[in-house]
Amino acid sequence: MVTKIDGATTCNETERQVFETELNMGTVHPAALEPYRVRLFIEDEIVKDAEITVGVNHRGIERIMEGLPVEKANALTEKVCGICSNGHIFNSCRTGEGALGIEIPERAKYLRVLAQELERLHSHMLYLGHGSEVLCHETFAMRIFYIRESVMDLLFMMGGNRVQYGISVLGGIRPRADLNSREKQRILDTMDYIDEKVAAFAERFVADPMVMSRITGTGELSQKQALDLHVTGPTLRATGYEFDYRTKMPEYEPFEFNVITQDGGDVRANILMRATEIFESTNIIRQVIKGLPEGPIVNRNWELTDAPVYKSYIEVPRGVCYHSYGLEDGKVRHSIIRTPSMSNIAAMQESCIGHPVQDAQLNIVSCDPCFTCTDRAIQIIKL
Amino acid sequence: MGIKSLARKKAIHLMLVYTGGCNGCDIEIVNTVLSPKFDIEQYNVYLTWNPREADVLVVSGPVTHWTKEPLIKIYESIPKPKLVVAVGACALTGGVYKNIHGELPSEEIAGPVDNVIPVDAKVPGCAVRPEDVVAGVVSVIPILLEKEDK
Repeated sequence: MVTKIDGATTCNETERQVFETELNMGTVHPAALEPYRVRLFIEDEIVKDAEITVGVNHRGIERIMEGLPVEKANALTEKVCGICSNGHIFNSCRTGEGALGIEIPERAKYLRVLAQELERLHSHMLYLGHGSEVLCHETFAMRIFYIRESVMDLLFMMGGNRVQYGISVLGGIRPRADLNSREKQRILDTMDYIDEKVAAFAERFVADPMVMSRITGTGELSQKQALDLHVTGPTLRATGYEFDYRTKMPEYEPFEFNVITQDGGDVRANILMRATEIFESTNIIRQVIKGLPEGPIVNRNWELTDAPVYKSYIEVPRGVCYHSYGLEDGKVRHSIIRTPSMSNIAAMQESCIGHPVQDAQLNIVSCDPCFTCTDRAIQIIKL
Repeated sequence: MGIKSLARKKAIHLMLVYTGGCNGCDIEIVNTVLSPKFDIEQYNVYLTWNPREADVLVVSGPVTHWTKEPLIKIYESIPKPKLVVAVGACALTGGVYKNIHGELPSEEIAGPVDNVIPVDAKVPGCAVRPEDVVAGVVSVIPILLEKEDK
């Protein structure tokens, strides 16, 4: 049971409060796309307490990675998640390169940023589509899914697959993902198309009084709560706190972009936050194509050696993602992956509390859940 | 063609069950239904989240031990005639998760969908392409109508 102390949530088994009604859903429930368990404690149709549990789809991918050479383990990390698959392979290659001291060519760095920003575009559009569907506005969902197809076509062009495109390899990028002048022009044309279409979509969305009255003030999360719960990514930025890990990454140094924030922390702020970030991503992609340096795309001069534990953080579409490797003779001795939804689960619980039960599903979806990639082994150390 | 199968042909209901893959196939299946580019509704196939309404069960992911029992329950609560389409490399073979280092089986995976419930059509790919999902689902509709007439 979760009890509230000064706005922060702590687990306390002794102070168990009893509520009138409990509504539980899951773990495999037809209405939820991903398997997770939600327990809502209700009094008079207002959610008094919420609890989200994951752990059903634990596949033990770190266990499978143990003992494999680091370049094979990198290919496996892509199978952690089907939405931010490039984020995981990008970060694991970054970790392996840092541990083994491998230099990466400039052109490969630019193309990795390009893939990462394309992924942010398709993930944010998926969020807008999924959110519109939970709002029961299927026309909006269909409209944004149609725009999303143009990004999926670009990823298919670069990597040869729509979901698991595998652009990064140890030391650079795959030769398949290199761009020629025709492909560069196609990316620029698509960016213009996305800017125009998403601007029209956002204008129509904001002008709809029914939708706006439904989402304004729903599922509010204050900035203090978000900071207490260590929420990351767009969900934190939607509460007005300016934090983006991209500003600290050396890969993003050549590019200029703004850190978008929104006030309020409700569903409206979350949706507008993602819609506005799409324009920043298209802006970064234009800068990548404009300043793309010539030269090799992969560095093959490296050796597999012993390395101490190396940690790496990057910003993926949902927040900060953490990977670490301990290598022995180039083989993975241990690996830890921590995905951003892990800390955002607390935000999902907190945004349900104090709101009507019919808004609970919308509030959970507004924090952009990805429970599939969150299912890692967690060890709780009691101090 | 009998009157029942004639009526059913106009409204095939598809239900998606997710058993612990990487989420890539699921989004492609939802994409198949919602995206106007692929639009499975042109073949009179609609997405439902209620097993009592469903005709075709689409399963994705390797079946983890925790999702094995719910999958059997959902399969049993679908009224006859029913068909199962397994979608994606994980659902067909267990994918990268099934075996640790060659032949050593993983403790987490209860096996491909074949081990748990009977499968009528298999759609390969990692992740599946929406065109293949459309082809796989549409190809089982005649079998469903044939079963209806018996």
